[in-house]
Amino acid sequence: MWVLLAILGSPAASPESRQADRASLERIARGDHAAFAELYDRHARLVYSLALRILQERADAEDVVQEVFAQVWAQAARYDASRGAVAAWMLMLTRSRAIDRLRARRSRPEAAAEADDPESVVDLAAAQDIELLSAEQVTRLQRALAELPEAQRTALELAYYQGLTHAEAAARLGEPLGTVKTRIRQAVIKLRESLIE
Amino acid sequence: MDLVRDDDRPELEPPILQGLGQAVPQADPPLALRARVLASVAGASTLSPRRARSPVWPLATAASLALAAGLGLYTSQLLGRIGALEGDLRDARARANAAEQRAADALQSAAGTRIALAVLTAPDVARIDLAGQAPVAPRASARAFWSRSRGMVFTASNLPPLPAGRVYQVWVLTAQPAPLSAGLLAPDAQGSVNETFSTPPDIPQPVALAVTIEPAGGVPAPTGEKYLVGTVASRPA
Repeated sequence: MWVLLAILGSPAASPESRQADRASLERIARGDHAAFAELYDRHARLVYSLALRILQERADAEDVVQEVFAQVWAQAARYDASRGAVAAWMLMLTRSRAIDRLRARRSRPEAAAEADDPESVVDLAAAQDIELLSAEQVTRLQRALAELPEAQRTALELAYYQGLTHAEAAARLGEPLGTVKTRIRQAVIKLRESLIE
Repeated sequence: MDLVRDDDRPELEPPILQGLGQAVPQADPPLALRARVLASVAGASTLSPRRARSPVWPLATAASLALAAGLGLYTSQLLGRIGALEGDLRDARARANAAEQRAADALQSAAGTRIALAVLTAPDVARIDLAGQAPVAPRASARAFWSRSRGMVFTASNLPPLPAGRVYQVWVLTAQPAPLSAGLLAPDAQGSVNETFSTPPDIPQPVALAVTIEPAGGVPAPTGEKYLVGTVASRPA
């Protein structure tokens, strides 16, 4: 069960790391390669882990990591630090790119390059007010995930990690659409409760 | 904040979205990936949104295509202009050739006129009337004016049409047995012709003129039938 394994070494937000990210991004905006390397060292593991979880293939995950960091490099000058955490933005980019790649792989295996355009995925405009969860919040979320009924967790994972629509998830599971919607909604409620405890 | 694109996709609120992203099993990326990522931006501007494909290239490609299209259009226009100029040049050459031909004809005509005038006004001019010979040219007639110093004017009419590959040739008969060729005649469709000839001033005194029909280009000595014959009617003073 990956959720149980994830409890060890899960990333979390801290004021220090958030400030360091902002400083790095400011330097990156000026073309500072050393700052870029520092940002990579801080967050490559986070980005790679999410990409690998979604894509289940190391090579694809590595490509996504490269794409995400390339986008960070390219858009650093346009990043508004007041909008949210750099790492949270990077995770959003990662999920978006990985799911695009996953969809391309599913629908048109030969057209996997569709996700190669950095502008085609979530950009800075959508990166408002996003923050990393604290270590404690992540732990609680992981615990809540582990305690979810299997059917709810599976439906939620299809929605989040594979980007499926309700209908696609229902078709994948062979369950009625309403049933799948209900399971996802119930799972979200439990996760939300875990975060506000 | 809605991070999903399809209304039919489950809407996950930002904290849960972030949490699910952070809650995955953590795995270390390969060491080689670090070098690859760092290298991917080594030559890229921070304003460039692409890692391996700088927008310089699409711009350069677009510029190249525009340049190629412009060159193609310019080349096409040049080729059109060259074609038009070549046509103009051909026309100009044709006009020049025609003009040269007209000038040559005029000069030749003028020269003939000068010779004729000179002959006709020469103090030693002699007139020779030639009569058509039956049965080949009974209606033909001709008259020649000859000056030892200035040449001969020959005019004929009603000469029969020439067979293909044949020509009229004028002969000067003297006291010597071999006639001398004065030249060739090219009558018009009506059988008329006016021609001037330069004759050597040292030829013996002519006694008669004759016109025969000979192979094209003429012959050194007459071979064909006589069409016109005339004797010298008056001697130079």
